[in-house]
Amino acid sequence: MTLGVEADLSQVDGKSQSGDGGVAHGARLVAFTDAVMADDEDALRRGRAALREVLSDAAFVDTCATIGNFNIVDRIADATGIPLDDLMLSMSAQVREDLDLARFGSSANTPGQRRRAAS
Amino acid sequence: MDGRSLDYTAAGAPIRDDLRATHAMVLEHFSRPGCWFSGRERIAIAAESRLAVGCPLCRERRSALSPEHVQGAHATTGALKQPLVELIHRVRTDPGRLSRRFFDAVIAAGLRDGEYVEAVGIVALAAGLDFLCRALGVPVLPLPGPLPGVPSRHRPSGLQEGIAWVPLLPPEAASGPDADIYGGADFVPNIVRALSLVPDHVRVLRTWSDAHYVALRDLTARRAIDRPQIELVAARVSALNECFY
Repeated sequence: MTLGVEADLSQVDGKSQSGDGGVAHGARLVAFTDAVMADDEDALRRGRAALREVLSDAAFVDTCATIGNFNIVDRIADATGIPLDDLMLSMSAQVREDLDLARFGSSANTPGQRRRAAS
Repeated sequence: MDGRSLDYTAAGAPIRDDLRATHAMVLEHFSRPGCWFSGRERIAIAAESRLAVGCPLCRERRSALSPEHVQGAHATTGALKQPLVELIHRVRTDPGRLSRRFFDAVIAAGLRDGEYVEAVGIVALAAGLDFLCRALGVPVLPLPGPLPGVPSRHRPSGLQEGIAWVPLLPPEAASGPDADIYGGADFVPNIVRALSLVPDHVRVLRTWSDAHYVALRDLTARRAIDRPQIELVAARVSALNECFY
């Protein structure tokens, strides 16, 4: 499903050097997500405060809900060894190549995945 | 259990009724007897998964090149048998490096595939709840007491082997008491089928997803953050979890 938005994929990998990458408040969303996923309580407080400066209460809660949701689905996928569905693989092939997602061990569950060659 | 009794005060933001209700549903789901574990055992699994977060062995393994290179004993409640404890700790703290070899070892150590799937579902749901609470800035939601009853020993008919590590129930084979689990969807991705060995997990996850993400039946549904924002956060979580799917 296309969204009609051009976004900077380096945000996903935490490699973006500037700006929001084409997503509203993208930098703050990523910083907050990283802080939730890590152990640094000060970074979490700062990240939450920075995000709440720019998001409504409802948007902040939706962000938290998304973080919770994907901590569930990631574990289910990786613990059951499910392959990526053909439809989803074909729709996301370029993104996966650009992000070199085949470097993740769980790519072994989907036949035909190869890491990007080192340059 | 009523979602109104759950305390999110510290979040400083109103929590939607459907989120509250879903969290209450998940906690009650933990407390009920399942297919293979009693309510007491299921609560113990959820509790063990929380303990795993501070487990020194898990921390050391997380930073090691390979988790299998680090041996030792987990910080554990002592309420559950060993192959199950290892599964719980690995799924909670290092899911991205789970492997077919790990799965085979856990099964060889005596855990049945139904027990494996039931435990994975509980650990995953508990992780989701706990990360959500962490993000909101509220304490983890207290686990309820167990409900009485015995495991059903229900195993769906029509399971398909060989697609994943665990058997999956194809939509066309969902029948009898399991006829409803996919909600009549036209397309049922593997992530929805993944826990189908324990049908109630699939039902609970459908309700969870409707409240916390977007309904599979309506991928254009709107939230207070827009779709690119949702997908950026989702992708970043999955990148940090090293999840290919």
